[in-house]
Amino acid sequence: MFDLIGNLGLGFATALSPVNLLLAFIGCLVGTLIGVLPGIGPIATIAMLLPLTFKVDPTGALIMLAGIYYGAQYGGSTTAILVNIPGEATSVVTTLDGHAMARKGQAGIALGIAAIASFFAGTVATLIIAAIGAPLTKLALLFGPAEYFGLMVLGLGLAIVLARGSVLKACIMVVFGLLLATVGQDLETGQERLTLGFDDLADGIDFAVLAMGVFGIAEILRNLESPEARNVVRGHIGRLLPSLADLRRSFGPIVRATGLGSMLGILPGNGAVLAPFASYTLEKKLAKDPSRFGKGAIEGVAGPEAANNAGAQTAFIPLLTLGIPPNAVMALMVGAMTIHGVIPGPLVMTKNPSLFWGMIASMWIGNLMLLIINLPLIGLWVRLLKVPYRLLFIMILLFCCIGIYSINNNPSDVYFMAFFGLVGYVLIKLGLEPAPMLLGFVLGRLMEEKLRQALALSEGSFMTFVERPVSAALLLLALAVVVIAVLPAVRKGREEAFQE
Amino acid sequence: MVIAVALFAFWQAADLPIGTLGGMGPGMLPKSLAVLFGVLGALLVLGSVFEAGPPLERWSIRGPVFVALAIVAFGLTVRPLGLVVAGPVAIVIAAPASEEVRWVETIVVGVLMTAICVGLFKFALGLPIPLAPWLMGY
Repeated sequence: MFDLIGNLGLGFATALSPVNLLLAFIGCLVGTLIGVLPGIGPIATIAMLLPLTFKVDPTGALIMLAGIYYGAQYGGSTTAILVNIPGEATSVVTTLDGHAMARKGQAGIALGIAAIASFFAGTVATLIIAAIGAPLTKLALLFGPAEYFGLMVLGLGLAIVLARGSVLKACIMVVFGLLLATVGQDLETGQERLTLGFDDLADGIDFAVLAMGVFGIAEILRNLESPEARNVVRGHIGRLLPSLADLRRSFGPIVRATGLGSMLGILPGNGAVLAPFASYTLEKKLAKDPSRFGKGAIEGVAGPEAANNAGAQTAFIPLLTLGIPPNAVMALMVGAMTIHGVIPGPLVMTKNPSLFWGMIASMWIGNLMLLIINLPLIGLWVRLLKVPYRLLFIMILLFCCIGIYSINNNPSDVYFMAFFGLVGYVLIKLGLEPAPMLLGFVLGRLMEEKLRQALALSEGSFMTFVERPVSAALLLLALAVVVIAVLPAVRKGREEAFQE
Repeated sequence: MVIAVALFAFWQAADLPIGTLGGMGPGMLPKSLAVLFGVLGALLVLGSVFEAGPPLERWSIRGPVFVALAIVAFGLTVRPLGLVVAGPVAIVIAAPASEEVRWVETIVVGVLMTAICVGLFKFALGLPIPLAPWLMGY
């Protein structure tokens, strides 16, 4: 307990230095600015803004990145409420009641409650990270390669289950991602694999390039298809602060959703995606009058937003303690940390405590800042959203180009981004979800490394995965999760869950 | 659906030979993954033969072509000609991707955006991105 307070104290001392505070502020601001743009989710936002952090020291850079991350999340909710366009999967739920509230002239209250719910969830989730980060790190140090491998298989299994659409298609995408990850030099021999003779592929495919193509460019292409059909809420936003009655009604959903989101966020394999859906369904079941949902129920905004933010934050736990990114956004964070010479994993906390705790403290500060800076700036975001898409997309495109070019100062990255943009577009058209692919790609290299280490230790015997109890349990769990998802009864329930 | 089947067949055909490129040791994993990939693809094709899936969405050519061209143009020009040229060029090429192009507006936005990006990325952040090497030497 004293440890916890001492650690958080160290964190706040780091995060509250004027420079770091300014960085967190800039991060939140530009993160929201880009995140507000329709069709741009957190992944594309972070990839685009990554170069902003290059000139800063690692601690400051991570603090700024955390700010960008939360800003992007919140910007996505703003777009969801005002324009009915979700920036990413997790804000789909917010569009249901949030946009309905906006049409009733309560846009301000919807945005206000979203900010308040996010802030509450963020506060709790920060405490959870601080509390269980240290013990989990100790646990992580006991993990051998076989256990790591098992855990990652479990993550991929969950990613398959949580993807929308058919399980088979999700499997295909995960394998596709793993395959993409094998491009580049072999880990041990340095021999080039699957590079098709391109020198630029020798180091493998850059994650930011892949993510930007599949999520940024492909999204632009998809938005271009449908003619301008945005109905930005006209007229006034209304007052921002919810009434006491609104707050009282939202309190229960926020607390429940925070718990739900925090738990799901820790799961490997992007459990956070499920959190807003789960919260919405739960609140609808608990409500006295479920028919209000979908027509502007404040609980339908407060719950999912809290769940979303809690999940978004606890998703840092597997990354910071085990070094395993649970979703694509966290994978980008790995990329960003590596650029700054920080390898995420159990050693970060012991080797670089001020960085670790500073980042955790800045998460909370970032949440607070969002609450403060966004409420007055909503008018500005509304005006930004009224810019026609034919102008927005060329700006987004230019930012994408500059962002990707700046990461490595390499024009070939820009070409690959265009290529993966087209690939992403084809995937969307074929009904294949890119998220599992990205996770497969992210975990691919690490999985291959751990698989080889484990096999080297066991002298080539696959029995090592079954003989070690922890890895056996993890692998069994992964198998069980996928099998359950394929069972007809569960499959039906899953389809229903995603329809809502 | 037929298009999807054809695409997957092509996809499988394409990924399998690629899978055998690597050497023995290092190639083991890509190979086995490629096989797995092929098998899953075949399963999907089989499934689509027996079960009618949802109809494919409309494909558009205009957006992808112009956007891809614009990005490639940016990549080609940014090194030799600098951001001052690459920015407007990319924007002007990308503009027709939308069905409602307005040229004057596009050019104004292109120049303005480039100026903002120069200010932001070059001067405020000091990123090593070439501005106009032919004019100023950097």
